[in-house]
Amino acid sequence: MLNWEKLQQLNFTDANARERAFGLVDKGSFTEFVSPRDKMSSPHLPVLGEAIEFDDGIVTGLGLLGSRPVFVISQEGKFIGGAIGEVGGAKMVKTIKLALQTYERVKKITPASYEKRLPAVIISFETGGVRLHEANAGLLAHAEVMDQIQDARGKIPIIAVIGSKVGCFGGMGFVAAATDIIVMSENGRLGLTGPEVIEQEMGKDEFDAANKALVFRTTGGKHKYIMQDCNFLVEDSVRAFRTQLKEIMNIPFPEIEKYRRIGSLQLVEEQLELVKSAVTIGPKDAQDMWKYYGNDNPQALADISPKEFLATVKRRERVI
Amino acid sequence: MEETMIGRGREAIEMIFDVDSVRENTIGAYQVEGEIGPGAVVGTARIEGQEVTFIANDAQAINPRFNVVYFGVIGLEEAYKMALTVYYTIEVDKDKPLEKKRPLVLIVDTPGNGPGKVEEIIGMNKATGSYQLALAEARKAGHPIIAMVIGRAISGAFLCHGLQADHILSLDKDFGTMIHVMPITSIARITKLDIERLEKLSEDNPVFAAGVDFFYRLGGVEEIVDKVENMKAAIKKHIAEVCQLKKNGRFDKLGPWGRGLLGEERGGRTSRKKVIQLMDTQYEAVIDKYISGMEH
Amino acid sequence: MALKELNFEFKAATPKTIKKEWAHLGVVGSGDMEVLLEKRRLNGAVKVKVVTPVTGFEKVWELVLAKVVKDNNLGDVYMEINDNNATPIVASMRLRQALAEASKPEREVEENA
Repeated sequence: MLNWEKLQQLNFTDANARERAFGLVDKGSFTEFVSPRDKMSSPHLPVLGEAIEFDDGIVTGLGLLGSRPVFVISQEGKFIGGAIGEVGGAKMVKTIKLALQTYERVKKITPASYEKRLPAVIISFETGGVRLHEANAGLLAHAEVMDQIQDARGKIPIIAVIGSKVGCFGGMGFVAAATDIIVMSENGRLGLTGPEVIEQEMGKDEFDAANKALVFRTTGGKHKYIMQDCNFLVEDSVRAFRTQLKEIMNIPFPEIEKYRRIGSLQLVEEQLELVKSAVTIGPKDAQDMWKYYGNDNPQALADISPKEFLATVKRRERVI
Repeated sequence: MEETMIGRGREAIEMIFDVDSVRENTIGAYQVEGEIGPGAVVGTARIEGQEVTFIANDAQAINPRFNVVYFGVIGLEEAYKMALTVYYTIEVDKDKPLEKKRPLVLIVDTPGNGPGKVEEIIGMNKATGSYQLALAEARKAGHPIIAMVIGRAISGAFLCHGLQADHILSLDKDFGTMIHVMPITSIARITKLDIERLEKLSEDNPVFAAGVDFFYRLGGVEEIVDKVENMKAAIKKHIAEVCQLKKNGRFDKLGPWGRGLLGEERGGRTSRKKVIQLMDTQYEAVIDKYISGMEH
Repeated sequence: MALKELNFEFKAATPKTIKKEWAHLGVVGSGDMEVLLEKRRLNGAVKVKVVTPVTGFEKVWELVLAKVVKDNNLGDVYMEINDNNATPIVASMRLRQALAEASKPEREVEENA
């Protein structure tokens, strides 16, 4: 089933977590850690009558991109919305920890040329955040992931990949924001509060979750690209994401920090300026921001292909 | 029942810190813009003579610029204000040795992050994320960080304001303290199980039910404080404990990772360890192949 | 209600085990299921464990699985299914796909993995 060549041609949106994990790294290079065969399903779901999955909805493992060992975390949105519980959370945390361990190892073995084998972490998000059936454990796991991301700062790159059906929301929304580089497709969605929750809390006037176009222009890849909240926008295929990841591997590590949007005093100051400008602009719609950044016909941008979009779009200017 | 502290963040500041020691919006030579993020109160104060940075929620404040921000909600401005405060704290002490880094005291009473459309357009996830990264950086740099839950510590807002601390303390549930992702009524709706059954189940398994005691059993709360007047001493005690552990290089016993170990110790989170051990074994079996120079 | 665990044992006329040591297929989405097959010495028998939130279909599961074992002459296999309300069509399809996956030679797996 996991024929690597065929995986490349899959729509990223439709690819499941395992297909993404195997397909994003080099052919035949992926070793899964805590695979279905280990049957590490959630011990908390059976008593609540919720179906279990052997991998607890998260595929983790190690592959290669060229000479670089790449640690992969891939979330499965079809299984309880990709939500994070104790087991899946621990898998995420430990994967980043292992990547850091590998960094130390590589540095020790080949101190002169360790950049060549510098590990990286790729997180393919498809989640609404905490799994409510084991909410407390899931919440605590989120904090552990953030802690590991900060540990990785200045050592190894952590790259977010967002283009799956469920998007990336809830607590995982800020985990994604905290990574070094974010790659999205037009279909990818990233935020904190999901559309249904905004509607539920604020009413249909504030946000109509059934309005698909509204949802996409508020949290979708194109909006995030204009806002500089994602770094790269790619076509909706496993191959396109993989190609982008390979290019990212060529970025010299000291440059990686420049791709970040948060994580330092200067970056927070820049973001606070953005908030202040939002107060002045008072956007009623995401496209008001598109316009503000010089895109005179925002609706046209929403309708065109990613390729045309990238050729014409104007983005928020970065200060740093 | 004790008198609740919900909505009384500013009073808590007065209770916890030394008389007349509170300087709002000042961190060393840095000044936080007073106008910004009224839902967050930040500044410098002393606790039994020791200078600390404090970050609290003011649930009585209404942010005039963002209509979803009141009742202690952490909005865009609030989150960045909190993050700035942490970075200023790091800057102020950057040349000091580890044991001289000033502590951060987080006073927690927040029901959530800003849930509106503007928040999503601008990127609320960045704002809360930035505050968490700042706290993690400060913690790793040696600043002891103690979170004191006085009221509500709910879901994503607790993740951002609390769960990156070294140690988390909470007032007893008798004060109406709330720590959860969702109330049990919502869990009942989602799982289609009645509340009585859920409550019965939570006696054996603390992973889903709302409440301070459950977080305690999972390692999410270090210590429960039984009286308002004991908050000050408890915070002071934990600052000293954390400081000592950092001096001894035991960062692994602190923060989110330390809470994982504590959860194990208290029998609340046992699968976590099994996963970690299995991954270690499987990693060791293959890692050399990946770093020994095998090109692909 | 808590999840239900169903256990079955079957024996085909001329049992033959699977090629791979183990094979896995499927995602436990709503209306879907996953199957894990493992080669195991069971005196030619097939043991199956089904974990499902649905009650009242023990007999149907038994008949469906018995047919799969018989039609494919399966033996010395331990099968685990995590089900989440899979429809009959989906269930049959997943079982068929899992068996196809398990009967691929191990070598090809490495190439394609």
